[in-house]
Amino acid sequence: MAKLTLKEWLSRKKKDRRFMENVTSIKHIPAHEGIFAPFAGWVHPRIRSILEKRGVHQLYSHQAEAIESIRNSRDVILVTPTASGKTLCYNLPVLQRILEEPETRALYMFPTKALAQDQMHEIHGMIRELQADIKTYTYDGDTPADARQAIRKQGHVVVTNPDMLHTGILPHHTKWQKLFTNLKYVVIDELHVYRGVFGSHLTNVIRRLVRICRFYGCNPVFICCSATVANPKEHAERVLERPVELIDESGAPTAARTFMLYNPPIINRELGIRQSALTPSRKMAADLISNDIQTIVFTTSRLNVEVLTKYLKDKFSKGSPVDTQYVTGYRGGYLPNLRRQIEKGLRTRDVMGVVSTNALELGIDIGDLEACIMAGYPGSIASTWQQAGRAGRRMGSSIALLIARSNPMDQFIVEHPDYFFSRSPEHCRVNPDNLLILLHHLKSAAFELPFERGERFGGEDLEELLDYLEEKGILHRVAERWHWAAESYPADEVSLRSINPENIVVIDMTDAANHQVIAEVDWDSAFTTVHDDAIYMVESQQYHVDKLDLERQKAYVRKVDVDYYTDAMTYTNVRVIEGFDTKHHQKLIVEHGEVQVVRKVVGYKKIKFYTSENLGYGDVVLPEKDMHTTSYWFTIPRNLLGRLKYTQAEIIDGLSGLAYSLHHLASMILMADLHDIDRCIGDKSGEWFVRHGKDWRSITVSPSDGGDAEQVRTDAFDPTIFIFDAYPGGIGFSDLLFEQHERLLASARGLITTCPCSHGCPTCVGPTLEVGPTAKEVALAILDLLDRA
Amino acid sequence: MSVRKRLQRLTGERPPDDTQSDRQRQINELRRRIEAIMSRRPEQMPAHSAVLGGKHLDLHDVIEGAEIENSHGQCFLVHRETEASAYHGHRCIRELSTVDMASASLLANNPEIAACNFTEGLFLDTETTGLSGGTGTFAFLIGLGWFEGDSFITQQIFARDFSEERACLVFLKEVARNKRFLVTFNGKSFDVGLLTTRFIMNRISDPLSDLPHLDLLYPSRRMLGHRLDNSRLVTLEREVLGLRRRGDIPGSEIPQRYFDWLRRRDGRLMVDVVEHNRLDVISMATLTLHLAELLSHEIDMDYANHSDLLAVARLFADRGYDERAQRFLGSLMYSEDRYIASDAGRMLALIYKRAGRWNEAVKIWEKMLMKDPCDIFAVEELAKWYEHREHNFERALSLVTGVLENVSRTMEPEREALVYRLNRLRRRLGIEG
Repeated sequence: MAKLTLKEWLSRKKKDRRFMENVTSIKHIPAHEGIFAPFAGWVHPRIRSILEKRGVHQLYSHQAEAIESIRNSRDVILVTPTASGKTLCYNLPVLQRILEEPETRALYMFPTKALAQDQMHEIHGMIRELQADIKTYTYDGDTPADARQAIRKQGHVVVTNPDMLHTGILPHHTKWQKLFTNLKYVVIDELHVYRGVFGSHLTNVIRRLVRICRFYGCNPVFICCSATVANPKEHAERVLERPVELIDESGAPTAARTFMLYNPPIINRELGIRQSALTPSRKMAADLISNDIQTIVFTTSRLNVEVLTKYLKDKFSKGSPVDTQYVTGYRGGYLPNLRRQIEKGLRTRDVMGVVSTNALELGIDIGDLEACIMAGYPGSIASTWQQAGRAGRRMGSSIALLIARSNPMDQFIVEHPDYFFSRSPEHCRVNPDNLLILLHHLKSAAFELPFERGERFGGEDLEELLDYLEEKGILHRVAERWHWAAESYPADEVSLRSINPENIVVIDMTDAANHQVIAEVDWDSAFTTVHDDAIYMVESQQYHVDKLDLERQKAYVRKVDVDYYTDAMTYTNVRVIEGFDTKHHQKLIVEHGEVQVVRKVVGYKKIKFYTSENLGYGDVVLPEKDMHTTSYWFTIPRNLLGRLKYTQAEIIDGLSGLAYSLHHLASMILMADLHDIDRCIGDKSGEWFVRHGKDWRSITVSPSDGGDAEQVRTDAFDPTIFIFDAYPGGIGFSDLLFEQHERLLASARGLITTCPCSHGCPTCVGPTLEVGPTAKEVALAILDLLDRA
Repeated sequence: MSVRKRLQRLTGERPPDDTQSDRQRQINELRRRIEAIMSRRPEQMPAHSAVLGGKHLDLHDVIEGAEIENSHGQCFLVHRETEASAYHGHRCIRELSTVDMASASLLANNPEIAACNFTEGLFLDTETTGLSGGTGTFAFLIGLGWFEGDSFITQQIFARDFSEERACLVFLKEVARNKRFLVTFNGKSFDVGLLTTRFIMNRISDPLSDLPHLDLLYPSRRMLGHRLDNSRLVTLEREVLGLRRRGDIPGSEIPQRYFDWLRRRDGRLMVDVVEHNRLDVISMATLTLHLAELLSHEIDMDYANHSDLLAVARLFADRGYDERAQRFLGSLMYSEDRYIASDAGRMLALIYKRAGRWNEAVKIWEKMLMKDPCDIFAVEELAKWYEHREHNFERALSLVTGVLENVSRTMEPEREALVYRLNRLRRRLGIEG
């Protein structure tokens, strides 16, 4: 059969009525002409000539604007689309300055090593053509020890990541004297990635960087780049803690693109179940790839990467054997070598299909793909555009398909295309003064330079914090200065990216003589992904977890071939420690404050591939995890609920359904990842909480020993719905939700009322299999009750 | 709510009314540790054993030193003179000043040192608040030593608090100004880098990094490492210098000791730290002499350890002192230790070979073969010589055949190389395999 071109494929799809029934929106984004500006007179003739040799005879308007601002020592944030030539905006002024003053130093920071590698190639290319003695090096965990000294002394441009700045550079700043005394530019790319916990850490790393720069008497210009978000300027100013100039009018031409939103058909109206987003993703990906249209599929979880890769591999290895890398998975957790190999395969078109998590979302060079399928809304509009941008960076036309899952956020997006296509994407938020985060960085900062009385660092009372650390015996105060007075190396105690810096190493013991490390899992996800008897998947190979050894931080696995995967079951229990603020809304008491959250993995379900049948359960014995964080919550008086003509179990289901929709809507209003916040139903004392059993939910009494807890009636307490920050100490989401309570409740009402399902579905109150058949009805009854009251 | 209260909640600490008893517990714990320290070294502190845990003692009460002052503040200085007649391990201090500078420069692999006088050397060792390095590690005690006439002077600069660091560094700079080279043990990767950091952080120009530097760790490892479990200074003292420390504080306890001192200001906490540091400095001087002697003296076959001599010969060979290497190896070939003798023979033959002195090399190989007809190394070298130099393929072949017949225990790769050579020789001679 003749292969179709992308254009032919598309026009055929448009004639396919059954397909088009599910397309909620199709948008052709036309090509845009570029807006150009001449080179400024000061640009070095050698730089001009190498650019002209590359066919760059003039700049895009935003490039000219950025370059001029940077030249005039203004801190800038650049927000322009993928492939609009952002890199030149900083490379040009940096190289210019080095040509003028060879002592000049610049620090480039990228969120991942892979991106840093990629940018190195770019700037290396320019330097080679310039034939100038300009040295550029990456400095990260992979840099060999014997190369480090030369890099510190000679590197004009040092390319690194925030983690290395945090643990390797700042605590050794004296070895970088040359760099810090001549540092003129700091480039922070992909600034939008630094939000939430990571962003809160980064802000503190920048505080430390600025402090060290001040010590050496330098005051570098900060150049930030970001994907399109709603508040780039505010975010940059929050992270840099200084005024920043926004440049967001792109002058770059853009290629034409077709964007489709696809909502899979409802296959069970009774239960409100839609076809899984993976099914159309798999079919379309297979169809595109078999037409030799290079395709990237983004999924929202590592598990889905493996599941989908397995499906596609199965398909393409049927009959004639194909190269094993013809379609492949890609995600964090794969070892670096394998990842580099896949990236290269994409550029050379040896890999025609790749299934990835958002690991490939950022600007790693994987060439020009033609089609992008997003199996599920990536969680934010900024991410969606970035993922879509991986197809057709420079080519004539491309297609991006967003396939919705059943969850409220996805459904909201595909059913409200205006919201999606109008410029209203996510907000980046950081809370650099989260006490735990701040305290970690205070220690590192004190290690780097003693604190002096009157110094400023962060938004909390610095002196009180320093006194606290002195009392702990970590700092020593003498003559108005606080000195680091401990043997440890504080930067090693905290990872910028996760709560717990410890990783679990996954070891394959299939070959008794040759144990192999196949992956690393962070501490928190280890509890749900590599518990005893879990099925763990890498490159669609299944492994059975024989033993999770938390003490040695190892999980021992064996290759198996089974027809199911596992899904962990957990419970959560919340206790209020202190309320910060209270208000009354209708009959509700609405509050936010500090809480203690206890979580435990109690078991797992075995789920059959393809059919998603539940094949059975197993128990998991793992310690509880205890966390203090901030939460927003509201309490429904028990006598109010007593007026409802439903059974206890039904009321619990209704509350669970309500909490489900609130959780999802909250993450959308906050523009945060669903996992950044979590929910729980209980009472404020933490004495009672709702527990998900194997087949039903019940209210049980703490202590949470996992045993046969007593069942309690809802009229024994005042039920409370908690939506809390999933990070110790909180990231500042709770007070926002407290403010937005009325809007949140009204949205939930809107969502549940207008949902077309009959008894509740994943779009409104959650799947009926989980929340029970009356959840939708009861949730609405509760909302009505509140309205009437 | 106060920041502290919030922190205590976040970290799950006890409420603040417990801190009083916490502090008391800390103090009690500290007191207990001090007592343990004191009782561990009764032979050096007899006077104090009677007042254990009793009253607090000032630094002046237990350490002979004085407060000094310069333009940058005050610090505490312990000045000691070790007399010419005193012994440190096997060695009398008087002997130490006789170090041959040519040898010292060879040890450092730095010709600048050869032009110096041994009294211009500055011995340096620091005690620090940690081993992790980085800007948060503080050198609270800087031990210095040098020769004056026949006696050895040690000056230890002690920062009684972080605030005294500048004064300490300025004092160190003054001392270093009159010195022309530096001697340390592991100073290249630790002490000097650390002090450089401290100078930068105090905005004082660094007097140390430009001084020629003899770091004894590397030559010690090369010349003596073959017979030691590790290359720590205490091990070298025990195994080589004949010094046994009594009641010495383990290095790993030193940082905590300083933190305790900062809180308690009890001079007894610092006594053995200061003594430990002083012994380190003197041991570096004796170690320098020991190593330099191995290099400077003509070979003395009565010296107990022939492996040391072999290591010295290897050092000579590596640094291009062929003649001295040859003299050492020539004697060591007759060592009673046959492993030493055969190693020496090999090395010497290789030196001759490198220099194109084939006859001498061949003589050694033949001698080796006479002693042990299955010496594969000698067979290989001789076969090569016959094949490539003499073009005497028959002789080469018979050597290889002989050893292959006799040696079945040969290691696989060696055997393979021999078989490969055998086949090539056969081809050259037109013999079919």
